[in-house]
Amino acid sequence: MLDPFARLGIPRGFAIDRKAAEKNHRELSRALHPDRYLGAAPAERNRALSEAADVNEAWRIVRDPIRRAEALFRLAGATVGETSEPKTAPSFLMEMMELRESLDEAKSRKDPSAVTRVSAEVDSKLATLEQRFAKLFSAERTADAHEAGAALGLLGELRFYARAKETIREIQEAFEDAGA
Amino acid sequence: MAYSEKVVEHAENPRNVGTLDKDDANVGTGLVGAPACGDVMRLQIKVSNDGIIEDAKFKTFGCGSAIASSSLATEWIKGKSLDEAESLKNSAIVEELNLPPVKIHCSVLAEDAIKSAIADYRQKQAALREAVAAGKSKNETTISAE
Repeated sequence: MLDPFARLGIPRGFAIDRKAAEKNHRELSRALHPDRYLGAAPAERNRALSEAADVNEAWRIVRDPIRRAEALFRLAGATVGETSEPKTAPSFLMEMMELRESLDEAKSRKDPSAVTRVSAEVDSKLATLEQRFAKLFSAERTADAHEAGAALGLLGELRFYARAKETIREIQEAFEDAGA
Repeated sequence: MAYSEKVVEHAENPRNVGTLDKDDANVGTGLVGAPACGDVMRLQIKVSNDGIIEDAKFKTFGCGSAIASSSLATEWIKGKSLDEAESLKNSAIVEELNLPPVKIHCSVLAEDAIKSAIADYRQKQAALREAVAAGKSKNETTISAE
């Protein structure tokens, strides 16, 4: 399993120093660039190519909060995925349905301020979830398989809110296009 | 990803979008979600006194395949008995809509939604019968006390 944190040479944890990670990605990519291996043996060249691919994949994982969280759960020994994650609690689903419906209404009423209100609510939920992930997985202390397994439901919540956030962006863009 | 014609057709003209009164004793509501992708789906059935699903409505926030799966599901269960509706398998939806493997979970969601709406309806009806029975026995005690 690819450890994207190790691959990029950054501490393993949910809270990341984005600038440092980006810088490491850039430097590693440059060092592994095929141009630098023009005269090298084929085996050496292939190794550099596959390492460069890993570095790119590591950066894609680390910069995306959902994929970053999934990687941390996996590295802690929990199984991530459709069939292994717990069913979402009915109360959460109800809350999500209400949120999505209020967005739908705001969209058809063409009410940007209502969308902004829901957006702020989603942002604060996302911030709370991210704090919890940062506590579960920090450079100082990281959850074991048991603790990670018990917290898997949070991963689902993160995806629900991230999905709502995508919809919010789409609505806001449609409003801007209509206004322009 | 390319959607099949049938998915596009249902996603563009979804049937039975809407809500039924969730407090109605003849209405069952199923609310399901897919934590793997963030889709939410609500499917409601209105059941006649002889146990036939006379109306079905849904509301889905998700991808085209999830919308098409729930739209098709409501079409199929209308006019069916509860037992018939309950035996509907997601594989039938997959086949009808030509869903690719990565979208099979959308059909599973629709099947779950039907089952959970039926379970909600049955639970409501059981609670109602219990309340009626409790009312009756209470009346009987009053009568015998007299």
